Amino acid sequence: MPSIPYLARRAARHAIAAAILWIAIAPRPASAQRALTDIPTPDPAAELAAMEVAEGYEVNLFAADPAIRKPLQINFDPSGRMWVSSSSVYPQLKPGEVPDDTVTILDDTDGDGGADVWQVFASGLHMPTAVLPGDGGCYVANATEMLHLADTDGDGRADTRRTILSGFGTEDTHHLIHTFRWGPDARLYFNQSIYIHSHVETPHGIHRLNGGGMWRFRPATLDLAVFARGWVNPWGHAIDPWGRSLVTDGAGGEGINLGFPGAAYFTAVGTPRILHGMNPGSPKLCGLEILSGAHLPDDAQGTLVTHDFRANRVCRYRLTESGSGLKSEKLPDLIRSSRVDFRPIDVKMGPDGALYIADWYNPIIQHGEVDFRDDRRDRTHGRIWRVTAKGRPLVPRVDATTLSDTKLLDRFDTQDGYARDAARRVLVERGIAEVGPELDACVAAALRAAPGTAGYHRGLERRCLELLWLRQGLDDGSNAAIDRALLSRVLTSPDPRARAAACRVVVDWADRLGRPGAGPDGSPGPIDLLAPTVDDDVAAVRLEGVRALAAVGALTETSPADATRAAALALHAVDHPRDDALDYAVWLAARELQAAWIPAVLAGTFDDGGRPGRVMYAIRAAEATQTATWMVDRWQSGVATLTDLDQLIDNIALLGDAEQQALVFAMAIDPATPQVRAATVIGQQVEAFRKRRVVPTGDLSAVQSLLSSAEPSLTAAAIDAAAAWQVEAAADALAKIAGDGDRPLPVRRATILALGSLPGDAARAALCATAADQDSPAEIVAAALSSLVTRSPADAAPLAAAWLSRSPGEGLVHEVLRAFLGARGAADRLAIALQGTALTPATARAALQDVTAAGRPEPGLEAILGSASATGGPRSMTAAQRAELLTLARDGADATRGAAIYAAAQLRCIACHRIDREGGRVGPNLTAIGAASQPDYLLESLLEPAKNVKEGYASVVVLTTDGLVVSGIPVSRSDRELVLRDALDKEIRIRLVDIDEESPGTSLMPAGLVDGLSREQLADLLCYLVSLGRTAAVEEAR
Amino acid sequence: MPPHARSLSAALFSRSALSLLAATALLPTAWLAAAAAPGPVSWSLRAGDRVVLLGDTVIEREGESGAIETALVAMHPGANLTFRNLGWSGDTVWAESRGVFDAPSAGYARMIDVVRGQKPTVVIVAYGRNESLAGAAGLEPFRKQLDRLCDDLQRPTPAEGDAADAAPRLVLVTPPPLEGVSPLKAAAALARNQTLADYAAAIRTVAAARGTGIVDLFAEVADKLPAGAHLTENGVHLSDAGYGAAAAVFADSCGQPLSGDFASRTTAIRDAVNKKNRLFFHSWRPANETYLFLFRRHEQGNNAIEIPQFDPLVEAAEATVRELARESR
Repeated sequence: MPSIPYLARRAARHAIAAAILWIAIAPRPASAQRALTDIPTPDPAAELAAMEVAEGYEVNLFAADPAIRKPLQINFDPSGRMWVSSSSVYPQLKPGEVPDDTVTILDDTDGDGGADVWQVFASGLHMPTAVLPGDGGCYVANATEMLHLADTDGDGRADTRRTILSGFGTEDTHHLIHTFRWGPDARLYFNQSIYIHSHVETPHGIHRLNGGGMWRFRPATLDLAVFARGWVNPWGHAIDPWGRSLVTDGAGGEGINLGFPGAAYFTAVGTPRILHGMNPGSPKLCGLEILSGAHLPDDAQGTLVTHDFRANRVCRYRLTESGSGLKSEKLPDLIRSSRVDFRPIDVKMGPDGALYIADWYNPIIQHGEVDFRDDRRDRTHGRIWRVTAKGRPLVPRVDATTLSDTKLLDRFDTQDGYARDAARRVLVERGIAEVGPELDACVAAALRAAPGTAGYHRGLERRCLELLWLRQGLDDGSNAAIDRALLSRVLTSPDPRARAAACRVVVDWADRLGRPGAGPDGSPGPIDLLAPTVDDDVAAVRLEGVRALAAVGALTETSPADATRAAALALHAVDHPRDDALDYAVWLAARELQAAWIPAVLAGTFDDGGRPGRVMYAIRAAEATQTATWMVDRWQSGVATLTDLDQLIDNIALLGDAEQQALVFAMAIDPATPQVRAATVIGQQVEAFRKRRVVPTGDLSAVQSLLSSAEPSLTAAAIDAAAAWQVEAAADALAKIAGDGDRPLPVRRATILALGSLPGDAARAALCATAADQDSPAEIVAAALSSLVTRSPADAAPLAAAWLSRSPGEGLVHEVLRAFLGARGAADRLAIALQGTALTPATARAALQDVTAAGRPEPGLEAILGSASATGGPRSMTAAQRAELLTLARDGADATRGAAIYAAAQLRCIACHRIDREGGRVGPNLTAIGAASQPDYLLESLLEPAKNVKEGYASVVVLTTDGLVVSGIPVSRSDRELVLRDALDKEIRIRLVDIDEESPGTSLMPAGLVDGLSREQLADLLCYLVSLGRTAAVEEAR
Repeated sequence: MPPHARSLSAALFSRSALSLLAATALLPTAWLAAAAAPGPVSWSLRAGDRVVLLGDTVIEREGESGAIETALVAMHPGANLTFRNLGWSGDTVWAESRGVFDAPSAGYARMIDVVRGQKPTVVIVAYGRNESLAGAAGLEPFRKQLDRLCDDLQRPTPAEGDAADAAPRLVLVTPPPLEGVSPLKAAAALARNQTLADYAAAIRTVAAARGTGIVDLFAEVADKLPAGAHLTENGVHLSDAGYGAAAAVFADSCGQPLSGDFASRTTAIRDAVNKKNRLFFHSWRPANETYLFLFRRHEQGNNAIEIPQFDPLVEAAEATVRELARESR
């Protein structure tokens, strides 16, 4: 049994007293109010007893309420004291309530593993979502502001309060700026979540970030920049010994993410391209720390710890080098708890080598689903747990503020991450005037021991990097602060991780390394220094080199010629293999520096090193339409060589204007052109139409001839082109394919869809004939109806009504109904056509599901289908019936049977929801839904999907200028297009210029999905959902 | 900060130095043109005025400093004035900080609605510094948009009936200059101020053309600083002394200069002003807007009823301010 120190014992007594009181006054629990009766008593001893701890580790209580309540972030200072920010105000200030949240300092002065001193450092705060000690006090997130609170008289309480930055958004209080941490470069990194819109004015300008992302900030100079963008709730950020940022997301689902300058992830606003995390299908994670130090066993070193706060688990991951980044693999959990109130949210290595976990302690998480003022929200408790390795000695605690500069510099060599960070922090705060001489000597010694000399050892590579970072941290803006020799040493380190890290230092010092490209006195400038990195053997170095060149090239003081040179170098990366992240890095560099390199290319001054493929890559990345004429000249003058000719023509097909498109089309239909090439080129032209609505000039009827090609990819491209370009002359040829029973069904269906967009009577007549043909396969009729409705709802409605009366399969009913719901005005026409048409209840129910999932009201169709479905609309249950069902689900249901119901074709749950890696992404991931949501909420969501729509799953309804109606969940939005995920899990890209109207919709989940289930089946399904993420047996079985 | 940096920046915004700069033709011509334009109408507050402060970080942080509002309240004891601070960090005349989930244009429309919702009789408009980052190219668009903003603020809503009575009086404020104080380098402050001078001139031009009141912080605030004090904390955000100096410029501009011991005499009023402003901030920019009013209101929109509950609290706090102002007379 782990020991419970004094503070915890006090807390435990307090808790027991509270529990007795609670039992005495609590009303007799109503049997169905499981959520209420299941609120555990807040007893730390009981919470500890419910933890299942990994072999070899043990847990003890470090601190608890009343010393701390609702801890949000913990960070240790260099003296070894823990700073905790706490909020009782969350989720929302009450009118009349004076915000009085706190920052508390905890200390374990007698080394027994429990805090014995706790001091309220500051109060009067408003939801302090982060605290970071430094500069004589601490930096605190305070809703719209970042504050610095300092204790100038040494009484342990803050007596000055300065607003350092302001203008952060508060649109959602669990998204407020958070996750403060120092980087090895002595910059303060902090994050904001997806709903936050920040507008921060510093002496250097305005910085705006609308949406999630990570900021990089230097308090001394107030230099602020967006480091990376995206994520939903990036609540974890750890930095490895080589300066690589690792990020977890409390609403993402891709595990560990790699952050580098300019990286954009899921939800990043304004970018057409995003990166992905290393563990797709992971639960949502909060907090992140890298294990290190002598106390922990060897197999723990370098592994990551983070929290699946919804499932009450502390998780671990292991990283290995991979490509331009890292690979992450999940390890067995460190802690699992059966208690719903154990909410680990932050984690830090402590001064004694133990691991400290902040437990927010709350049965209710988040504030969307459950009312702000719900009594079940805990506002008073909170715990800090301490994890130690059994039988291993602790690290002797050292107060870094008492050490000499020399001793502190020596601590850079330790494997202990806390010790290194503490030493660096103290040195940075002592300042260059004091630390300078010692640092100079240290650097000189490190440089003398070059590789190959007697004094050299491998550990010097990291030491040199640490010294370089310290130079960066001590930078006072003077030219003397720049250490060229050390920078060059690290840039050419035998360790690629050091080379990669040094690239970022070049960017920070670019203003003093001389004119980019040529330093003073012939010494190399920043671009010269970065030049070798883009051809480095190691992809990770190439990635950082490319990003650094893009950053230097984009500085305002960089001349266009130098920016062009930076771009030309960055594009060297195109010559080498690229994984997704590295390709993203080059793609982004090409876009960021386009104002420099495009004019150079057009002027013929761009140095492509004899590799025109680099320019072709850049043109495509930047979608540089202004280069199309230049490309056509190259093509026609025969300058383009065989190696880049195909790329050149593909680029023209994608980016050319209507006349240039005609040239490309002429080439494609030339019999001498290989058919596969022609298919590729026409595919690009279709893409050009989709993006820019550009259509080749001249007679396009020749596309007909391609329809009969023996090459399937060419036929497919020709069908798409005929539709995009509205080649009326192709109608007959398309109709022939549509009616050709020997053709594969998918080809026939694609053809029918193409007919839908062709003008003229021939196409309309062909579609009407196909839709009315009772002998055609049902799939063909459904396609014809879906196609016809987009161009002529008046023709389609009566045909569809007649077809529906013949009871087609449920899947096809969905297809046709969605098509009607997607065409403006068509739903009303169908409702009229259905008057007097007899539908089977099954058909009506299937159709009704689509109507309720449209994300907007369609009263006409709802009424007629509701009466035909014989159910009178979706099932409703009284409060008493719900209570009974919840009891049945808890006591008399079977999760295994529920799993089978979940998977059954009838419900199609899996089409939209994902559990682990299986299922669609239209609806919320259900991997740990039981851990995150109460049963009553889950039942309500099954019965009334529109009532509670999960964060990020509210649909929008878009009316396009073409008369289409698209409902979907926004996936991304750039300055050009909106990407929605529709109810079929398909991504729909809509150009912003085509949007006529956009309005908020509701849930895409059909109402009445569970109507066909018996009471027992519904209970089984609910039981299964409740078990997800909670029951070990179910989890292990996955 | 090196001494020469201070002298450079001080030189830029002291009056004598300005004439020196003009003589050396460093000063842009727009400034001279504005100087020749007809002078702005002086302004004053009347009993019962409802004053809205609208602007960027200067105004938002005045909500914490309270110096300007305290001066205006204390110099009008018994006038039953109401102040509502609608400043927003990083904002511009296009309401670029106010889009929230929408485009700035929607934020702009909302801003006009929010101002009108306060039924102001006076709107103090303080913009220009963030816009000046666009340099010379941004000057004319800024001037036009400031003019449009003034139009929109004064355009009567149809329901308000009598147009002449419904339109609030406007007071335009020029931005305080930047200061060569760490971490802002002297050269950067100088360069920014050269551009800012043009923007300040544009504001004067608009004020003169419209006949609105003007508070010329750009030209006058440095002269009101106590000896040795810094105008700003960091080159851009006004220090406590800077807000005190700004308050003095406001007082001068409506013809009631502050006495030397003003700040020390009015600490109680200022505390009450700040308390009221904090309450008002939570009501007009409440946290969790997404859930209370926007696209997740189906989840927690029921809690939106709490926000109007701030109104009587704000009014009570304002009553305390007025009471203290009366007592201090």
